[in-house]
Parts: sequence; C-alpha cells; structure tokens
Amino acid sequence: MAEPFISTPVITDAAESPLVGHYEQGTFGNLDRGAQVTLTERFPLAICDVFAWTGSETKSANAIKRATKLALTKTRDAVSEDAQAFRHAPGRWTVIAIDPALPETLTTAVGDNATVVDLSHGRTVLRIDGGQSRRVLSKLFPIDFKSDCFPLEKGIATKHHEIFAQIQRVGDDAFDIIVFRSYARAFWHALRRSSEEVGYAVE
Amino acid sequence: MIIACPFCGPRDLSEFTYCGDADNLAARPDPAATDQAAWNAYVYDRTNPAGEHAEIWQHSGGCRKFLRVVRSTVTHEIESAEMVGPKA
Amino acid sequence: MTSHRRPEGGSAIDRDDTVGFTVDGRQYFGLAGDTLAAALLANGVRVMGRSFKYHRPRGVVAIGVDEPNALFTVTTDGVREPNVRATEIEVFDGLAVESQNRWPSLDNDLMAVNQLGGKALAAGFYYKTFMGPVIGPLKGTRFWMMCEHVIRRAAGLGRPGTARDESRYERINAFCDLLVVGGGLAGLHTALEASEAGKRVIVCELEPRWGGGADGKKESEIRQIVDSLESKPDVTLLNRTTVWGWYDGNTLAATERITDHLRTAPEGAPRHRHWVIRTGHVALATGALERPIVFPGNDRPGVMLADAGHRYAETFGVLPGQHLTVLTNNDSAYQAAAALRHVGANIRAIIDVRPEIGAGAQRLADRAGGALKLGHAVVGTSGAKGLKTISVARYNHQTKSFSGGSEQIETDCLLVSGGWSPVVHLASQAGAQPIWDEALQAFLPPDPDKHWSVHGAAAGDLDFGHDLSPAPAPVFEIRHPGKAFVDFQHDVTADDVRLAHQEGFRSVEHLKRYTTLGMATDQGKTSNIAGLAIMADALKMPIPEVGTTRFRPPYTAASLGAIAAERYGDLFPHRLTPMHDWHTDHGARMYAAGHWERPESYNRTGETVEQAYVCEAKIVRQGVGLVDVSTLGKIDIAGPDAAEFLNRVYTNGFAKLPVNKARYGLMLREDGFAMDDGTTWRLAKNRFLMTTTTANAGKVMSHLELCLDVHWPDLRVHVTSVTDQWAGAAIAGPKSREVLASCVTGTAVDNDALPFMGIVHGTISGVPVMICRLSFSGELAYEVYCGAHHGTHVWEALMTAGKPFAIAPYGLEALGTLRIEKGHVTAAEIDGRTTARDLHLDWMLSSKKPFVGSAMMDREGLTDKSRWTLVGVVSRSGEKLHGGAHVVAGDRDEPGASLGHLTAMAFSPEMNAYVGLALIEDGESRIGQHLYAADPVRSQTHIPIEIVSHHMVDPKGERMHG
Repeated sequence: MAEPFISTPVITDAAESPLVGHYEQGTFGNLDRGAQVTLTERFPLAICDVFAWTGSETKSANAIKRATKLALTKTRDAVSEDAQAFRHAPGRWTVIAIDPALPETLTTAVGDNATVVDLSHGRTVLRIDGGQSRRVLSKLFPIDFKSDCFPLEKGIATKHHEIFAQIQRVGDDAFDIIVFRSYARAFWHALRRSSEEVGYAVE
Repeated sequence: MIIACPFCGPRDLSEFTYCGDADNLAARPDPAATDQAAWNAYVYDRTNPAGEHAEIWQHSGGCRKFLRVVRSTVTHEIESAEMVGPKA
Repeated sequence: MTSHRRPEGGSAIDRDDTVGFTVDGRQYFGLAGDTLAAALLANGVRVMGRSFKYHRPRGVVAIGVDEPNALFTVTTDGVREPNVRATEIEVFDGLAVESQNRWPSLDNDLMAVNQLGGKALAAGFYYKTFMGPVIGPLKGTRFWMMCEHVIRRAAGLGRPGTARDESRYERINAFCDLLVVGGGLAGLHTALEASEAGKRVIVCELEPRWGGGADGKKESEIRQIVDSLESKPDVTLLNRTTVWGWYDGNTLAATERITDHLRTAPEGAPRHRHWVIRTGHVALATGALERPIVFPGNDRPGVMLADAGHRYAETFGVLPGQHLTVLTNNDSAYQAAAALRHVGANIRAIIDVRPEIGAGAQRLADRAGGALKLGHAVVGTSGAKGLKTISVARYNHQTKSFSGGSEQIETDCLLVSGGWSPVVHLASQAGAQPIWDEALQAFLPPDPDKHWSVHGAAAGDLDFGHDLSPAPAPVFEIRHPGKAFVDFQHDVTADDVRLAHQEGFRSVEHLKRYTTLGMATDQGKTSNIAGLAIMADALKMPIPEVGTTRFRPPYTAASLGAIAAERYGDLFPHRLTPMHDWHTDHGARMYAAGHWERPESYNRTGETVEQAYVCEAKIVRQGVGLVDVSTLGKIDIAGPDAAEFLNRVYTNGFAKLPVNKARYGLMLREDGFAMDDGTTWRLAKNRFLMTTTTANAGKVMSHLELCLDVHWPDLRVHVTSVTDQWAGAAIAGPKSREVLASCVTGTAVDNDALPFMGIVHGTISGVPVMICRLSFSGELAYEVYCGAHHGTHVWEALMTAGKPFAIAPYGLEALGTLRIEKGHVTAAEIDGRTTARDLHLDWMLSSKKPFVGSAMMDREGLTDKSRWTLVGVVSRSGEKLHGGAHVVAGDRDEPGASLGHLTAMAFSPEMNAYVGLALIEDGESRIGQHLYAADPVRSQTHIPIEIVSHHMVDPKGERMHG
C-alpha cells in the first residue's frame, strides 16, 4: 500500500521556515552567567510518522533501522548524526532525517508492515541545549526531565498548552522539541521567554 | 490528578481527555439494529456510582491511545489504567 | 517620634542599609530586611488599617501570614495590588503603599461614624435591611441593588486598579519524592534526613528566611542544615514560596514571589512563579499559629499576639511597645514576656486566666518582672487611636464569672496568647478530617497515610521548653459587656455569632456564611477556633461535635497572573497558517478562530470591514479570488479497511468513491445529531485525505480514533493528523480555471481533466500541488494544496498568475457572505442541536448501510415537523441584521415568542440586501412570511424580514458545475 506521491519533499528554494522574521541570532536575557542554553531551529528536515500494523511492530522497527541506519529496536529509541527516531505510541514512531528522500526510503522499506505519513512540512523541530535546558523545559511541559526519568535518545509525546508536541533527548543536556508548524512561532516565543531567566543564545 | 498510562508512564491530567463510561462504551449495540430501547440506554443511561467507576480516557496529549481507567468517584484514587484497542 | 528600634538584635535586618518608603505619599525609613509592619512599628505607627464595616482603627496583630488587620495596597507603576499583609511586604528603597478603607486618611477616618450605628450593623444586617417590600418599585432585591454601591464604598477592603499589569509571570513543573511544606526546624530536619537517604526533595517556606518560628538561639543549627541541603543536587530550596493547594494525585500548587521585594528585577525574572509540584510524599511542617483571646476592646491598636511581639523584637529589633502587659491562658506567653524584658521592655503585668501556674512559667514570670495576676482577665481597653489602658478584673474561668471591681493598668501594648492552632489547612484540603485534641484545645491533623506525614508544631508537637506546658486553659472568650471581635478582618463580634445562633443557624457552615466569619482574605486564620468555641458554647455542645469547616485552596491568596502565566498577551498560543505574514503584509485584519489566526478581510485604505468584504465577495462572484483554507482539519486515512471505515462514520457512502475524486461527507454523533461536515478525497485505493471544519478538527480526530480503538478494533485503518502538513488555498470565481490553466504544469485543468469533485496532481512554480475542484462559495472553484513550507511560494505564484484576471485575496467575512448566499452550513448551524434534516442535508443520509448516528436519528423528537430548520432571511427595511437575533412574528410592542434565531448575517452584493441564515420553528412552511429579527438587548433593533429558501443565490448550482 505504498503511495509515495503523497509525500512532498521540501524544496529549499521554495520553502519558508515558520520562524522567518522571528529567528534573531545572538545572546539574550540574563547573561550574568552567560547564555546557559542555546536554542536552534533545525530546518529543513524530513519528518515521518511510521505506524505499524498490529503484529508487524518488529518488522517495522527493523525497516526504520534499515532505512535510517539507526540503532533502533522495537522498544529502543535512537539518535545519530543525520537521523533520529522514537516510539511515541505503541507501534508508532516519529522518524526524522536530514535526507529529504526519507519518506520514500521509509515507504519502500516498511512495505505493507506500516503506514508512512510524511510530516516534513507539518512539524518544526527546535533544539535546546545547555546546562539549564531541563529548567527551561520544566516551565513548558508537565514532564519529569531528570536524566534517569528521561534517558538519552528517548522520545515522548506530550502537550504544550492544549497543543500536541513531542520531545526527544538527543544529548546530555540537549532536547529536540517537535511542534506543529502552525504553532512553531508561538512556541518559539514561549521558549525564548522561558529561557530569558537563564540567558540564551540563538544560533 | 495523574494517570499512569501503560505506554507513556504517569502523566498529568492535562494530557488526557475524558471520553465516557467504559462499560457503556463497550456495550455499543449492533449498528444495524434499530432497537430504540437499547440505543437509548447506550446513548443516555449512566450509572453514576459513588465509588469505583470504569472510564475511558484518551491520552490525547501523549500516545493518543484509549485507556480504561478504574477510578473512585469518592476519593479520586485511580485503581488501574489499561490500554484499549488493538494490542501492540 | 519615638523610635521603637532597639540598639541591638534583629536577625533579619541590616543596620547599615537604610531604605526609604512611602505610605500614602508620606516618607518613612526602615532597614533592609524589615517587613512593612516591622518598619512601621519601628516608626511608632500603630494604626495600620481600618476595619471592614465599622472603620475602627486597627493595628498589626500578627507577624506573618495570619495578619488580619494591617492590609495595604502596593502601588507599582500605577498597578495596584490591594489587601497585601504588611507582615509580608518586605521594604525596599522606593516601595510605595496606600492604606485602605479609610477616608480621608488612615488616622482620621470619617467613615468611622459607621460604628455609632453599632447594633444596626450586626450579622445579617444587609439581608434584613435591604430586602425591600414585596411589591412596589423597590420590591425584593431592588432596594438592595440601589443601596449596594453606597455600602460597597463604605464597607470593604482595598480597591483594585484598572491599569494593565505588565508584570511577567511564569509557571514551572516539578517532580520529587518528598515535598516539605514549611522551612522551620521540623521541616528542615525532615528534608535533611530524606536527602541523605538519596531522595529528591523540595522544601518550600513562605517567609523570606528559613527557620520558621524557631527560637533565635537555633540560628546556627538552621544555617548548618540549610547549607547542607543547598549542597545537595537533588534538593530544591524555595523560600518566599507558599504552598497553597493540594490536589488529586499528590499534586500541589505553590506561588514563589521572586521580585516583589526588589527595587529592580533581574533581567528575565518573573514577578511570581506558579509551581505545580508532583510528589510521592508530602511532609507537612507548617507549624502552628497562635490565636488571640476574644474580649471587649480586643481590636484596639496595641493589642497583639504574644509570639508576634516577641518575634518583632527578636527578628527586627523592634519593640511592640514601651510598657507591655500580657494576657494569656497558657505558658507560652511567659517566654515572650521574659524575652522582651531581656531586650529592654518594661513588663507591667502578666494577666493569666488560670488560677495557678507551673514552676517553669513562674520562673519566667519572675524574670519578666511586673505584676503577676493569676485568675484575672482583661475586661476592657481604652485609648482613641491606640491602647492606653486595660481594665482587669478577677475571673473564674470555670464559672466564667467576675468578682470584685476592675483595675486600670496603663499599657501601650497588650500581648495576648489564647493557645496554639496547628496549621492543618493542607491536610484538610487533601480530605483529612482534623481531630480535636482536648489537651491542646486545638484541631490536629488525623493519622497520616502513605501520601503524607506531619512534623513538628503542625503535629501538635508544641515544645516551649523550660518545663512549660503546651496545654492552655479552655478560654476562648472573656465575656463581658462591650464589642469583642472574633474576626477582625470582617468585623464579626462574639455577639454576632450568638445572634446567628439565636436566629436559628446551627451548622458551622451556615454560621460562617451568615456572619461571614472566616470568609475574609485571611480565611479566619486567627478567628476560626474562637468562633467555633463561641458557637459550641451557645449550642451547649462540645467543640468537636460542632465540627470545623473543610479548608479549600488557596491557603493564602494566589496571584491569578501566575496561574494564567504564559497563556495570554504576547504568549497566547496562536496557530498561524503558512501564509500568515503575507496576509498581514497585505493589510489583512486578523481574526482569532480558536487558536487559529485567520484573515477577516483585507484593508484597502480607509475601508470598513463591511466595505472590504462586500468588495471581496463581488470580486469572487464576478472575477476570481483567493482565500487561505489551511486551517481546515486534515486527516490521513490509510489501510485496507479505510473505505469501509468511512462508510461507517459518514452518513453517505464512500466505498464506491473512485480514486482521484472527492466527496462531501456528513458525520453524525451517536445520538443522531449532526457533528461535522467536510470533503474527503480518495488519493489511492487505500488512502484518503479527510477534511474537517477548522473548529472541529480535534474533535473529529478523537472521534475517529475512538471508533477505531474502542468500537472497531478489527478494522485495519490508520488515522494521522496532517492539518499542518498542507497549505491550502481556494481559488474561486468564474475566472479561476483560467488562472490555474495559466500557472499549473504537469496536468490539464479543463472540465474533462478536472471535473467537479475531481483531483489532479501537478506543479505550480516548480512545487508539487494537489488540486481538487470543489466549492464552498458556489462559484467555479478549486482547492490547491501544497506542502506547508511551500505555502507562501504557491500562494504568491497564484496571485501573480491571477494578476491579468484582477485576482484579489478574500478573507473570512467574504467567505461567510458567499456561503450564506449559498445556504452552506458551518459550525454556527451545526451547533450540536441540529439534525441533518434540520439543515436540509437529509439527501446525505444513506439508507443502504448503518452509520454512526443512524440508529438514533429517526427518533420521534428528531423528526418532528415543528423543529427549527434552516431558512434564509432577507432584511426588508435595508437595516443591518444581527447574528443571534431572535425571529419573532410581532412588531416591537407585541413581539410574541421566539420562533428561532439568526445564525449568520452578511451584506449580499448579489442580492443587494442584508441577508442571513436562521434556524426557525417549522422553517419550511414559513418561506415567504414576513417576520421580524428582534435584537432587544445589544443593538435594540427590530427589523422586518422575509423568510426565504436558504439557497439564495444560484440554487441549481450551475456556476460551480460549469
């Protein structure tokens, strides 16, 4: 049931980030101790939802692993230089890669085991890194970000205000937040505001 | 209130949406049947117990799965939360 | 002015740091570390408030969160925060406060004539006096409503301002194994023990300093524990943080005050931070509050709680008076007396209601000096603006009788101790019923359970040392003629409580509501127990049988700004379409539709909204227009059973829909009422793209997921929200095909290649697009979808291609006009009360298959002919109609009953009239009738209308099929 024509790879020349005009580089907020977090928008990226049919979860995980070269298993999330994936619901993964061909590669790889939905245009990925990232995120999500509760590479689904969001821990103090494209600008301002207390840099 | 989602772990109430009485939802009459009494009971009749109550909650700000939550309507204590639907 | 500051002492203050502040514009000086109450006491100020009803002068009674009298309005940059306790305001250079409830000034309050009325303002005064006669112009509550604004000005607390609060607020979530409420010694020890066992601990203390009510000698012990806790990575110490609510699942709410005590806030710091703390266990170390004794004249400035007096000296180096007296029913006040003597106060007398005292108290009494009057009580006070003398008489507390004459003692400060009440508020909020302890004459928390424990004074563990007993004599009131106040803040006297009993109020809950005892901003922290004791006495019942009210959040007032943090103003969670900036750059007025921002109309210079949308609608009907439809809900539906699934959720058939065709679909709820409508496109055999209305996108998604997971787990269907993946632009008007033909490559768009409801894939300006020919406006129209990141690119390409055809963008208002003219429904008509038949959508109800709602939609009540049904409405007078107006049969004088209401209105350029849609009783049979649109409250219009078919323009749909 592979129907790759539903995917529309991001064409850089024609694409616009939702943060255009609102993404000012520099350091901001209380810089008494320097910028204790760094905020970045990762754009453009290929983003897919992979939804395994009941009984095909392992095959689907293996297919994602093949397509992305990630050390993924049915239950273990993974992050690499150029790709990342996490299970946000039973048998269901968010897969992110730099390669714009991801939707097609995944669709071919999973075959009849799962549904691949291209969300490359529908989601925005923001990264927060730095010693105070957990404190900043605690202001935005009712989630326990403590290291042993939120291990490296793990990804989850949650909400900001009433709006769906996902978070993956991609480094010791680094988290990727995946929000709806339409909500990216409002969330970006909330993220900046929450970071002001600890000082932040936008790269 | 905190509900322990079997997939996501314990999460805040703000992530969940109440969907109705679990036993009632499980008793949906045959869609082809037009037995008005049965459909009427399904759509409108609720037991509203003081005490243990089985409810369906969607983890809408999480895995989006539906949970059968057994909760005391008196103490608000949650006894169990199990996932409904095709098992993964 | 006498300085009451002692040359030594004061653990909180910095004697080298003098700060200036103003009260009602008058300059005062204090020391850094002072509270406003301490600084004013040091300046010799005794009157710190005026009472609620009688405007009696009041002084500070307490030293902390329980203060009922000394309330001020803090003014910062024109923003007023009323009713802040002087005991909690930390002074800083430039602090400005106003006194409250006084006119013209705190010292000379003319409203104090209220107290001449004395008796008349007793409990229930308002109810009794202002319930007017049964008939006539002032019947019922009208008289009250007339008098209310006068009374409200005479009685009350601080006045809030109207200036916008520009302060920043913040919310934060925290998780821990143990939350310790209270940073006194008991709390700190509990925290230390848990942290040493490796637990994640949060400690909250509402005061700026750690240590709570601990003796000054414990300072180094406290510092040591705090240092040790601070060094632990898993411990969070929060001072100036009040835990005020306990909710299900051990979720507690706290407010941290971050900048209130600072002249200038650090960059990025919020004023208050709302903490939502989820904890495994709660350790309550909330301490105990000393309570006053009720006696005549007990509200005169200078009457103060004994422990408060002691701690003003110890913490701030301020003596509460020069010539002190003490009234007590227990040993703890002796400690205060001795300590105050030690720092230089003159103790005139200690009056104890008990006939005898133990050796420990006796020793302290000797140290304090002054007359020790056992078996005595204070029966009156005098002094115009502050205490000058007290009257003391011999008193038998068992028989409650007096003997002999009364003696006058000169004193400027009477320290009172009526025993101690453990702070059980949070435990009570959590559902625990406090238990009366006969020995302590206080309510104690019940036995802890697995979620919480209680420590120190909060558990009734009152250790005063020195062989002192924590047990007081059961004396709550010294009953003698004169006004004796129970609740200072609401001016409730002991007689008011008895009056309430006499008038039949038996339950403590009723007593509270009738007298308003304990209902002021202090929530009766100093008055609840005394009020209860007086009630119990009147009922001739023991206190535990009268019971206590259940405490509810918040423990102290919590700022709404912090609770609503980051959900308003510039941080409102707006959702924007990919073309948002283009719209605002081209003069669009934006309109908030739920979270979404959508263009309402495009403002060409000087146009009104109406002129703009009428112009836009005309352009669509006569030429071509472009509208952003990206906000429509979009759901990817995939799987071998997708068509079957759609057949079950939609009222009409989808199984036979060919690939690359779309169909308009209607969904019902299980109860047979209409839920949502939209088009669904078949993109492949097993793949559909469903669209929903903007408003119902989330609801429909959850409905589909529920159906799949709960009702039909056997269906192999996956649903995924793709609302944000696609940017959508609808191009509409007779010239729309020509515009597309000029810019779309890779596919033809003529009637054969792209018939009505057909779908093609092509490219516009190098970007892949999906185009579906469907129409909401009733014109020849197409929806062009592309990846959202390409949205502006494609939109601009369409605008460029449309230029030769004079294309113009149009907004929600024009879209509304076009759909009203066509009689197309939206959420205004699918309002949860209408059926498919009501909306003339019964042609969509398949009889060949069951679907959600099919079993219930034919119920008697849903097929009744008199139901409100959809009709069109045309204004006959040329007046503008109003959405929500009632449709009535009669003129303004005799309108008659409502027949229904207008759901939408617009000016129709096509019909050159104001038109609307309405849901009215038996609508079908009223077509052609002349009725009225009545809007008596808002616009006060009563407009003659004609009822017409809801298909007002092009009823046969020739335009969109052409």
